[in-house]
Order: sequence, then structure tokens, then C-alpha cells
Amino acid sequence: MTEKPVQEEKRVFMTGNEVCAWAAAAAQAEIMYGYPITPQNEIMHYWTRLAPKYNRDFLQTEDELSAGFTTAGGIMAGKRAFTATSGPGNILMQEPFSMAEAMRLPTVAIIQQRGGPSTATVIYSQQEVTMTSLGGNGEGLRIVYSTATHQELFDYTIKAFNTAWKYRFPTFVLADGYQAKMRESLKMYDPEAKGIKMVSTEPYVGKEGVPGVDRDPGHFRNTYNVEEELYEVLEQYIEDYDKMAPEVAEYEEIGSQDADVVVISHGVVSRAAKGAVQELQKQGYKVGYFRPITIRPLPVNEIRDIANSAKKVMVVESANGQLDRLIKEKVYGCNAEMIPFFKPGVGITTEEVESRLKELF
Amino acid sequence: MEVIIDIGDRIVEAYIGEYASGKSEVAVNRAIDLLHEGHPEISLVDLDIVEPCYTLRPIKKNLQGMGLNVLAWDTADTIGLGETGNILRAENKWALKREGDIILDIGYGVEGAKTLNLLEGAEEDDNLQLFVVLNIARPMTSSVNDIVNYVRELKKVDGLINNTHLGDDTYIDIIQDGARIVSEAAEHLGIPVVATTVVKELAQSIGPYDCCGNVVRSVTRYMPESFW
Repeated sequence: MTEKPVQEEKRVFMTGNEVCAWAAAAAQAEIMYGYPITPQNEIMHYWTRLAPKYNRDFLQTEDELSAGFTTAGGIMAGKRAFTATSGPGNILMQEPFSMAEAMRLPTVAIIQQRGGPSTATVIYSQQEVTMTSLGGNGEGLRIVYSTATHQELFDYTIKAFNTAWKYRFPTFVLADGYQAKMRESLKMYDPEAKGIKMVSTEPYVGKEGVPGVDRDPGHFRNTYNVEEELYEVLEQYIEDYDKMAPEVAEYEEIGSQDADVVVISHGVVSRAAKGAVQELQKQGYKVGYFRPITIRPLPVNEIRDIANSAKKVMVVESANGQLDRLIKEKVYGCNAEMIPFFKPGVGITTEEVESRLKELF
Repeated sequence: MEVIIDIGDRIVEAYIGEYASGKSEVAVNRAIDLLHEGHPEISLVDLDIVEPCYTLRPIKKNLQGMGLNVLAWDTADTIGLGETGNILRAENKWALKREGDIILDIGYGVEGAKTLNLLEGAEEDDNLQLFVVLNIARPMTSSVNDIVNYVRELKKVDGLINNTHLGDDTYIDIIQDGARIVSEAAEHLGIPVVATTVVKELAQSIGPYDCCGNVVRSVTRYMPESFW
């Protein structure tokens, strides 16, 4: 047997992309399918360096459409497979991800957001929130983890494989170009040594026995003749999703329950929001911090509680209201005034959040 | 006919290494150290053609203000290039023909090292030394074996630099672990350890030499300001 990529727990210094590759290897991912696009390239670069060493596989396809579908194919063959992309690549992958929703395939995709629309900028943005959560011609039956630190990139990349294979919905780790390229330290570990058991995989097709005799036939469909048939399937999927939602929803908060003003942010921007809130709390402001870690499904009850107890909720993001729209849908009918702070495609600093928050008191 | 200008003996150092090994930080600090030592003319050259717009560019003005010649793109030069902007600045290609000391910050990995081929006069320059920057907290270069194999892939290397750190979480023991591993790798490779680089906050505690007797170079962190 090949040795494990991560043996003992160890503090290391890495870029975010590198973290994703190591996390996938530690999570016993068997194959990555991919096509190059900045800022996710080094996930592929590092995976292709790790793969031969630890007996894993890699396939570079001719485009992202193909990378998405081959990921789906790998999963149907029972492989713990993943892909990674960004921006226009994420657009192309929406068709395979829709198919994965239709066929309940546990695809895992790491999205390193770049600026948009279209090819736009190569570094940073939070403009792939809508697409990653709700893209495709479906109902957004997906799980999206939005990370803020390298430690989380490691933890949630591992977790994404387990969530995906446990619930059989496409699962995403949503980060961005800053997190991809940024360097900071984290602890790498072998999940099993920490008591995290990797959910076992199984092939969808090519199973032993005669279908209908020895086992149930596998009937994995992304197309239906009649509307009623689709409706029946979707009803079951949505019921499964709604049942799963409270089990997978995660968040981080600081003093959000008894604050007059609460900042809601996600991903790397929440580092700035957190810094601003902690500074203002020290100065005696009744301000709170809330960050959904799963932006799909959202921790709905907690968000509604805040929107009913706080006077104002400020949503901060490097997009023109993509998180804000998801939040507003959930806080419909609540009391708090919603304050926007949007800077599409550019970074947001602690100082900016702090001064905007002060204006609200 | 090629005109050969004899610029005489001077410091010409190229810093190469793994992605995120700290090449740029070590190169920038070396250039500033030379300035403080009284060297009259120092050029810091950004030869990273993989990510040329993101390394030295954001801190270029700051470094020029200190008195360095900085051969790197300006933000204004890169606007409008999009992703097709990976071109070598003409001035950088001819950097070795400049007077004074030359510090070269080179792109990462084996491909990065090949950037030297684009540099006019690199083959003939007797002063040119190639130093590999290493951080054992980076999993790809964490053991003696990893380092030996990595350095052997590069063309010609004159020395190693132990730049072991954990960003804001650095502590002295890991720097000394780095010194031991990098020194052992250097012995295998038959090349010297040029220095151990340490953030100035910790350099004093270690003293002028690390546990293996390598010179300690105190480093100020400039790169966090440059995002990449």
C-alpha cells in the first residue's frame, strides 16, 4: 500500500491552492479531472505532483465542459473524484453540475472565484456566489462551503467529499483568487487519525449481479419523457435536500445575538468584517459578526433570529449583492433594516468595514 | 558584432525556488542590505514571467524611494494587457549589462529557472550566482531528500538559503530545524548554505549564526503589502 500523503499532524506554510491539493490527497481522493484557468491552476499543478507519489490519477481534458462531465463519469465508476475551476470555467461546468444534481452524483468542485462578468480579472472576486449556489437549469440542490482561512480550505475540502458522498448532492468549496494565492500557516492532518472517517464510495454502474434479479436496477437519469415523472423525482430530491439542510448548515458568529448592528459576510471578506467588529466591540459598540460557512444551504434560523433582534444588518461582499440576495430571501418579513456594502470584484479592508459600520450608529 | 563591456567584479545573484518559498522577499531584502552596506548602484530585477504583474509591482515605488533601481512593471504598464501580458520587459532582458550589483528575482520551479536563458549574457557572466530559497515548512521541500531532488532538477546552483518560516506563526525551533535539514541537503549536493534568513523580530534571539553555523540574515517583510 502506498504511504499516506499526510502522516502526523504538522504545521505547514502554503498557498491556498496547494492546501486544496493536499487536502484532496489526504481525503483519499482518487482522481482529479481538470482544465487550466487562473487562479486555480496550482491545484492541478500540485495534484499532478502528488498523484504519482501516492498512486492517484489525473486527467486533463480539452475544456471545462469535459472536465465536469468526466468528473461525473469518474464518480459513476465509483471513484472519489473532484475538479477545480474558476469564472468562465465554472460557467461551462454548470451543465455537468446540473446533470450531477439530476443524477444525484457527489461531485466535488473547488471554485477559486475570479472577477466577472466573462473573463474579466484573473485574481479576485466574490462574484460566483449565485452561479455556484444556483447555477444550471435546476433548483440549486447543492452544498456550498465558503472558506475564509487556509485551515478551513483544508478542513472543508476534506469535509466536502464526505458531505457529497453521504447526501449525494454536488458539493463545492468556494474560495477566491486571494485565498488561492495567499500564504499562511495551517495544520495538516490525516483525517482518519482525527477520527474523521471518509464516507465510502461505490460505483453507480457496472455493479455485480443481474439488475432486477440480484439487485435493484440502476436507473440514473437526466432526461424524462413526461413532466409528472420529473415532478415526482424532484419532489423527493427537494424533500431530501430540505431534510439535509439543517444537518449541514454551518456558521461562525461573534456577539450577533444581542447587537444593534450585525455584519453578514462570507469567505475572505469575513476576515475584514471580523477584524472590524472585534475592534468596534472593544470600543463599546453593540455590533455583531455573522458568517454563513455554508452559503447553500444557509443557516436560516440563525439568520432570521439576527434579522429580528438587530436593528440593522449590513451585508458586505466583493460582489454587487449576490450574498445579499440569498440572505434577503431568507429574512423576508423580519424587522432589521438591510444595509448594502458592495464592492464587486475588489477586496474590502477591515478599515473600510469599520468606518462604514460607525456611520450606522 | 557584439560589443563586450567589462563591468568588472560585482554582486550578481539570482534567487530561485519553489512557488511561495520566499524568493522575492529574500531578493528584496538582499538588495536593501547591499544598499545599507553602501553599495552605490543596485538593480533589483523582476524576472518572473509567470506572474510578472503581481510580484514586485505593488511595492516598486516604495523600493525606488529607498534608492534601488527596480526593473519591474508599473501598474499603468499592465493595464489593458489582460492575461496576454506575460511578456519580458526589454530593460529586464538586458539587466546584466547594467553597472553595479544585480539582484534577480526569478519565477518559480524548473520552468522559472529557465527564465535565465532569456537574460542576455547569463551564460558568460562569471559573477552570476544562483541561490535556491528553501522553506522546510513547505511540504514539497520539507526533507533532505525532497530538497536534494528538487535542487538537482535545477540547472546550476551555487548555494542554498534556509528561509524556513510559518508566516505570522514562525518560531525559533522551526528555523533551526530548517537550518539542520538545509545544511544536510547542501552537504549532499556539495554546495554551501549561503544564509539563514530570519524575520528581524526573531533574528536577534538567534544571533549572528544559526545552530549549524550558517550566517543569519535579518529580514523585513515587504511582500505582504504586495498581496501575491
